Amino acid sequence: MASLEITDQRGDRQEAADRLRAVRPDRGEVPAFIFADPDVYRLELERIFTRCWLFVAHESEIPSPGDYVTRSMGEHPVIVARDEDGAIRVLLNVCRHRGMRICRVDLGNTSHFRCPYHGFTYKNTGELIGVPFERELYGDALVKERLGLIRARVESYAGLVFATWDEQAEPLQQYLGPVTWYLDLLAGRAEMEAVGPPHRYEVATNWKLPAENFAADAYHTMHTHASIAEIGLTPTVTWAKDGYHVCAGNGHGVMIGAPTRRFIFAEDLIPEFERHLSPAQMAVLRQMAHMPGTVFPNFSFLISAVTLNGRFVSHTELMLWQPKGPDRIDACSWFLVEKRAPAWWKELSRQAFVVTFGPSGMLSQDDSENFTQIARNARGPVAGRLALNYEMGLGRTPMRDFPGPGQVYEGKYNEANARAFYARWLELMRDGDPRPDA
Amino acid sequence: MEITPQIREELLEVLYHEAELLDGRRLDEWLALLTEDAAYRMPIRLTRERSRTDDHSTEMQFFWDDRTSLALRVQRLKTEFAWAEDPPSRTRHFISNVRVRPAGGDEVEVRSCVLIYRNRGEATDFDLISGERQDVWRRTDGAWRLARRVFIVDQATLGTRNLAIFV
Repeated sequence: MASLEITDQRGDRQEAADRLRAVRPDRGEVPAFIFADPDVYRLELERIFTRCWLFVAHESEIPSPGDYVTRSMGEHPVIVARDEDGAIRVLLNVCRHRGMRICRVDLGNTSHFRCPYHGFTYKNTGELIGVPFERELYGDALVKERLGLIRARVESYAGLVFATWDEQAEPLQQYLGPVTWYLDLLAGRAEMEAVGPPHRYEVATNWKLPAENFAADAYHTMHTHASIAEIGLTPTVTWAKDGYHVCAGNGHGVMIGAPTRRFIFAEDLIPEFERHLSPAQMAVLRQMAHMPGTVFPNFSFLISAVTLNGRFVSHTELMLWQPKGPDRIDACSWFLVEKRAPAWWKELSRQAFVVTFGPSGMLSQDDSENFTQIARNARGPVAGRLALNYEMGLGRTPMRDFPGPGQVYEGKYNEANARAFYARWLELMRDGDPRPDA
Repeated sequence: MEITPQIREELLEVLYHEAELLDGRRLDEWLALLTEDAAYRMPIRLTRERSRTDDHSTEMQFFWDDRTSLALRVQRLKTEFAWAEDPPSRTRHFISNVRVRPAGGDEVEVRSCVLIYRNRGEATDFDLISGERQDVWRRTDGAWRLARRVFIVDQATLGTRNLAIFV
């Protein structure tokens, strides 16, 4: 029975891999089935979510030794903990004895975790330190050193903590590549802190749809979010048209709205921004009207500015599209703010975040409606074979004089970043296929 | 203010009336039920150890609204571009376990259990949002107005695609 299952699974995978030939981002064609297909999803869990660097937390969520939060990497539950030496550990939240979930709460502070099933106890470094009646039951046979919690590799950039299951993965900075320059603007422009826990809500969609949207889709803002201009939160309906479309390598994409009518950050912090950023980055920050983006595969971010209660304010947020099945995600969103921003700014910025993004956000509400309906439509064989159109901007020439790295196009409306996202996706999904001549 | 049976009865009526306005999408009338200084909050609920009583976050919330931002939300829903609720969800706010306590001056604290049913499109499945309202209602000019609502939701991960509806 077991071997039959394996054979079947291999057959499905092969079939899924065959069907991936229809994915042609180079021609601006992406078939809808990849947003609904269970075999594609299983392959993604293996080939994308066990290999890529995945965002797990902001460093400020676990400032002190013993602090921890629980998160997921792909569908695997993990504990993100700061150990007694101050190092951040990402541990598979699965007991090595019977596979029970060891930590079952969202956050806390502890030096060790005890499994509820038989009481196996692990330090927050993952080391197994206690097995009830060990000597009596196992004698000297149990090699505790080999039974620690499975550790993911952990690296941080600009306070953003990433982890990967792949021991062979390139270092995080290399994986991020040119996008680091833009992550500096996002999360490294000052000392930043995440305020409170993330919003978490379930949306019946495929994880790639929101990821692609934040990487590449400024075009939708004009129609999906037309209500926002109508009620005066933004000055015009085309507020997200002008600026730059940045292909930031390895499937990462950023869009910078520019120019701005006025500086969107707290003026008091300019000296701190100048200390953290290069003059070229500072020049872009001064021009910035907003900045959405995605780090491949499922980590998105946004700097957005609105006029709320008569006052102009920006907010910074991080988003994670946590896969829970081919047509299900947990959408998570964190509010980030400069630690030394004035109190009134922090408060107004936080309110702007809640009112415009997160589950009650007046912009994200309409996004979730789109994402849900697209995933539902992608299920049938006819719609599934439909090549969705991603041609916008094909053949356009990148700028030569933009100060930041990556392939930068003038104007935010473009689909180059979506094509790059799916090209990277395809490359990872294909990697590991048996070669035809093998 | 002493909580007489009549006051209790008035507040039950106002809660039922509010539910009727929300489910009937009579949102301008609903806004008129709120005081000018109304606060409208929905904290993030957390999974924590049994010994911890702070199982919701005051630092981050699903709603962080005042009268002005609620009016903006209502105004938005009336535009032609509020796709999240056009076509609208079918909702039903069920209110029970109402407890009324004095809160000083013209105000009373009203706690109630709320179950919100939400269904969209042709789907037969539906979302349920369960929670406790911790309200403050204020008597002004002989009428009860909502001055404060904290909605303690009974999910750490919200099981509805957005909060384009009110709780």
